[in-house]
Amino acid sequence: MRILYVEDDPRVAAMVGDILSASGDVLVWEASGSAALLRAGMEPFDVIILDRMLGDIDGLTITRRLREGGIGTPILILSALGRSSDRADGLDGGADDYLAKPFEPEELVARLRALHRRASGREHSAVILYGAFECHVKARTAFRENRHLALSPKEFELFRYFMENAGEVVTREMLLHHVWKMDFDPQTNVVDVNIGRLRRKLEDGFDRPALETILGSGYRLLDGRP
Amino acid sequence: MIRPPRSIFTRLAGAAILLSLVLLAGLWWLTQVSVGATLQEAARAQVDVDLAGLVDIYATGGQAELQARINDRIALIPAEGNAPHYLLANDRGERIAGDLRKWPLLDPAVSESGVIAIGEGARAHARAVQLGPDLRLVVARSADLEAPVLASITTAFAAGGAVFVALVALLGRFAAHGLARRIARINLAFREPQDAASLAAAGRTDGDEIDELAANSASALVRVNDLVAAYKDTSEQIAHEIRTPLSHLDNRLVKALASQPAPAVAERLAEARAEIRRIVQTLESLLDIAASKAHRGDRSGLAPVDLSALVTGICELYAGSAEEAGLTLDWTIAPGVEIKGDARQLRRLVTNMLDNAIKYVPSGGRVAVTLEPGPVLVVADDGPGIDPCDRERIFERFYRGRALGEETSGSGLGLALARAIAERHGLALTLEEPLAGGPGGAVFVIAAAS
Repeated sequence: MRILYVEDDPRVAAMVGDILSASGDVLVWEASGSAALLRAGMEPFDVIILDRMLGDIDGLTITRRLREGGIGTPILILSALGRSSDRADGLDGGADDYLAKPFEPEELVARLRALHRRASGREHSAVILYGAFECHVKARTAFRENRHLALSPKEFELFRYFMENAGEVVTREMLLHHVWKMDFDPQTNVVDVNIGRLRRKLEDGFDRPALETILGSGYRLLDGRP
Repeated sequence: MIRPPRSIFTRLAGAAILLSLVLLAGLWWLTQVSVGATLQEAARAQVDVDLAGLVDIYATGGQAELQARINDRIALIPAEGNAPHYLLANDRGERIAGDLRKWPLLDPAVSESGVIAIGEGARAHARAVQLGPDLRLVVARSADLEAPVLASITTAFAAGGAVFVALVALLGRFAAHGLARRIARINLAFREPQDAASLAAAGRTDGDEIDELAANSASALVRVNDLVAAYKDTSEQIAHEIRTPLSHLDNRLVKALASQPAPAVAERLAEARAEIRRIVQTLESLLDIAASKAHRGDRSGLAPVDLSALVTGICELYAGSAEEAGLTLDWTIAPGVEIKGDARQLRRLVTNMLDNAIKYVPSGGRVAVTLEPGPVLVVADDGPGIDPCDRERIFERFYRGRALGEETSGSGLGLALARAIAERHGLALTLEEPLAGGPGGAVFVIAAAS
């Protein structure tokens, strides 16, 4: 991925640079909002990462100007303002995702992948296919090896989110935000337990595992082929 | 513009109209009485003048002259229609001259005067005199003449009164409208405090009480706005200045972990990272509590939220975790319960209540969530309950229940934040007495603040 990164703190920029070069992405760093606006208008990027509190223009204003200028590149706001009202401000202001510092490196990478994939349009298809799995979005039905999976409405939402991000790491925070609309981490292990239940439904009667737990960061849907 | 259900100005204008109606009626009545009395008096005086003239004529010209004059006067019909009536009669009351048929009940010997009937219900003022031993005279003038005068006075009062009342109503409406507009402007500034500056700009320093009220309201609101802005700036600065260095620290720990240290070291490093996360969560919760408290009673930015769906969704999310903790989680949700609120915050509120229940109710216990219209949300359990002396303290910041000892996880801010969110929505979060004979655990109730 080719990523534009706007951040005025060089130490944070170096940290994010390390994370993303390790994942094989190209990072273009700008330290000011005005320079970033200029560059975003001239060069194509797959994703834009914005800090909120910049020296000149704040991240929310940059988001608005980019959207007004017809630039639809997915935007992830990476900010030290992490309350759920701050997140709502960012998402309501036109950003596609919001991550608060400090963050897990895997979380950032997973979210950037998800944003990029969503922008490439897989999400909008009526049927999502991955390995042995089928997700019929309109009919809200799920299949593995052509066998119907009896999922509750919420389990279907979970499964669909995994299908939309098939083969990639999905973090707890991403699930909480997208499936349960929560911008905070409950103290109870609700995500793990619900994933456990979904896993049983996806794996019951099959030999191969369907969901892989990535220690410390999240889960990944496997192709489930026999 | 939102209109208050009962405007003081409408009532004032109504009272002014009523008062002018009462005054007009009183004035009309006084005029009626005094004009009536004056007319009666004038009729009596006319009778006396007429009678004196006729007595003179009798004295100088004798009975024949008197009879002639009486006939002349009867023939002469005055322009104002107040024709006089006469009766010249002998001592037995038999008519000699004049237009009255019958001698009235007046004693001529004492020159008695009074009101007499002159046929067909008409009345007249009259006075009788004894002119000679066998000659008596009565002069009368109609007493009913005031009726048309009084009727025209009534008409004049009715027409003038109608115009007057209409003017009062118009003026009252105009004045009330002006005052209501000025008061509405102040109310609007309170509803939308960010526009307080326009209220201050519109106020006059040399104005009346309402201008003074507007100026005072504006300066109070500007101060509130400044405080809110300062609070927002400060909390953002605090968040930024703490989260950024923590972020660097965390990054160092990540790098240290990446260098594949000995397992014991790795474990310590992971613990240190978890500690950083807890600090961040505590900071967030404190700022959330402050924000909720700052917005207490402020209804702006709230939208209708389907509370039934929201609570059901969270109960479903927690069902598995409760089961794993050996608890029974039951929920009874009335459908279609709505509230004006912030959905994200309300989710946080309900989540914190369930986190709290799952943390403190031991395995084998039961947690029951009920939502009823109102809204009234009850989270009750059959756990150990809460010591009466701790009942209020559990809602304080950093207070942790003693039941689970030192290793209790969490920031100690869950219930404090839940209460702050409830209050921001005009609700109260309270700990109620468990039902007598019931399971005896904790009963948390979220309901409209009384």
